[in-house]
Amino acid sequence: MRQRHRERVLEFLRTIQKPDRPLDAVAETDSLVESGLIDSLALLEIVTFLEAQYRIDFAAIGLEPEQLTSVSGILDLIEREAR
Amino acid sequence: MRDGHDEARVLLTVGRLVEPLTGRHWEPPAVAREVSARAARFRRAGLRPGDRVFLHFGNRLEFFAELLAIWRLGAVAVPVDGGLTRVELERLAEVVAPRFSVVDGATDAAVARALPSGVAVVDAAESLPAAEIASDAARPGDDALVLFTSGSSGVPKGVVHTHASLAARWRALERELGLAAYARTLCLLPTHFGHGLICNSLFPWLGGQDLFVTPPFRPDLLIRLGALVDEHRITFLSSVPAVWRLALRVARPPRGGTLRRVHCGSAPLPATVWEGVQGWAGTREVFNTYGLTETGSWVAGTSAGEFTPADGLIGPPWGATLHVRRAADGAACGPGEVGRVWIESPALMRGYLGRDDLTRQAIVDGRFATGDLGLLDERGWLHLRGRERDEINKGGMKIAPAEVDAAAEGCPRVADVCAFAMDDPLYGQNVGLAVALTDRGDAAVRELYAWMRERLSEGKLPARWWLVDAIPRSERGKVNRDGVREACADRPPLDLARIVGER
Repeated sequence: MRQRHRERVLEFLRTIQKPDRPLDAVAETDSLVESGLIDSLALLEIVTFLEAQYRIDFAAIGLEPEQLTSVSGILDLIEREAR
Repeated sequence: MRDGHDEARVLLTVGRLVEPLTGRHWEPPAVAREVSARAARFRRAGLRPGDRVFLHFGNRLEFFAELLAIWRLGAVAVPVDGGLTRVELERLAEVVAPRFSVVDGATDAAVARALPSGVAVVDAAESLPAAEIASDAARPGDDALVLFTSGSSGVPKGVVHTHASLAARWRALERELGLAAYARTLCLLPTHFGHGLICNSLFPWLGGQDLFVTPPFRPDLLIRLGALVDEHRITFLSSVPAVWRLALRVARPPRGGTLRRVHCGSAPLPATVWEGVQGWAGTREVFNTYGLTETGSWVAGTSAGEFTPADGLIGPPWGATLHVRRAADGAACGPGEVGRVWIESPALMRGYLGRDDLTRQAIVDGRFATGDLGLLDERGWLHLRGRERDEINKGGMKIAPAEVDAAAEGCPRVADVCAFAMDDPLYGQNVGLAVALTDRGDAAVRELYAWMRERLSEGKLPARWWLVDAIPRSERGKVNRDGVREACADRPPLDLARIVGER
């Protein structure tokens, strides 16, 4: 299941990434912002994606920064909170 | 805050400086020591009144000490975006002709290579012996600050403020807004922006209030914004709508009840976001502010009486006179009538650096042409209704499409090009690019992308690209950017990640 989530997340990240930062070069635990793959405010797009695709209610669960800043953090969040 | 002959003096009543992320902080006596030591270093190195100094970093304690040290010697501070490309920096250096360039540990090594020979590079992190500079060399009419904005002619414009114009802005804000609500001010905005530096930071801090400064637009900070406000008992912060769109989704509201006032500016604030910020902050004192770098930033805002958030609502002026005039004949518009917005204020810039021609166009009879369209209601409150000039407002950063055009036009693969504003759910607007290439293959797109990367800093790079056969122009050669945008809207943009990634 995690692999399927991973594919969907990476597919989405490809739509918002900066063109000259290969997604493959970013390790799963790397910060998406600090690696230069996305800019900081693009986190809103990740939030919107997770709300729509996995019905995660961020207002209800609260959020720690680490949960959204790397692919592994996002996958952990999906596994824990997706409905 | 300041009066009479003290107008140009700096370091009168600064508050504490705090970096919440690192825990570093300077009490006012430490600020005074740091400023004196840095001023003594500049003096030893030969900095003279009127000299200009690049500051390549910001949003940390040392930035403010360097700024005041430069001012104490009567020199001129030029804070710039640390992410400028080499080409952009070379262009600014031609205009500014700096004597010194101040860097920190995070500054790209390419900065020094982009500067003309003869510019002395100073490391802000170097430890300095204690020194005393007895008095300020600056006079009220002296140039104090140059901030760059995107120019409609494709060349960035350096907005020059004097000590007198800055002091006039701060005096007006203190008179209109008081200082009590700004006792513990948080700055999340870049300090090379007029909004972030002149108003969010220096207005409270040089008035003796405490300033908490963070790196700009850090996502982990925005997620923790409520906790940050509580932990440091923040009473005030300012930001831009794009930041609030994110913070309202991911940051839990503050619980301590310390937040007394919030400002939002630099881009249109939708009423829904405005109401969301009021709910999040737990105060009705969320003021939509209006101002431009040329006016010393905030010149009006929703600070008086009862108001209901509404799209375009700004409010009464703060130490300025607002004029709305008809485009056709320049006559004053009546209440409710939409026209061009002009601003009259003692805080107006002295002019654009080295561009008296542009200054004469912008300031007519002491009034500044904002390029905005709006109306004054029966109370004299300003309501904005749009922008007359070509401009892309990306989350508060103003980008002239002509600057993007100019960067692309030099590429040998480009036959014609048109940058335009496109709607963006995150930033409000973003940069779109329609381009006709001499060769439609992917290699030509990659070449143009690499060309643009060398010439435009990240924030100005087009987010979406469309290949077109030609850019439609009028008989006079003028491009209709709205028309180009509408033509592109029906077609998918280039898959730039695939094309560029295939190198």
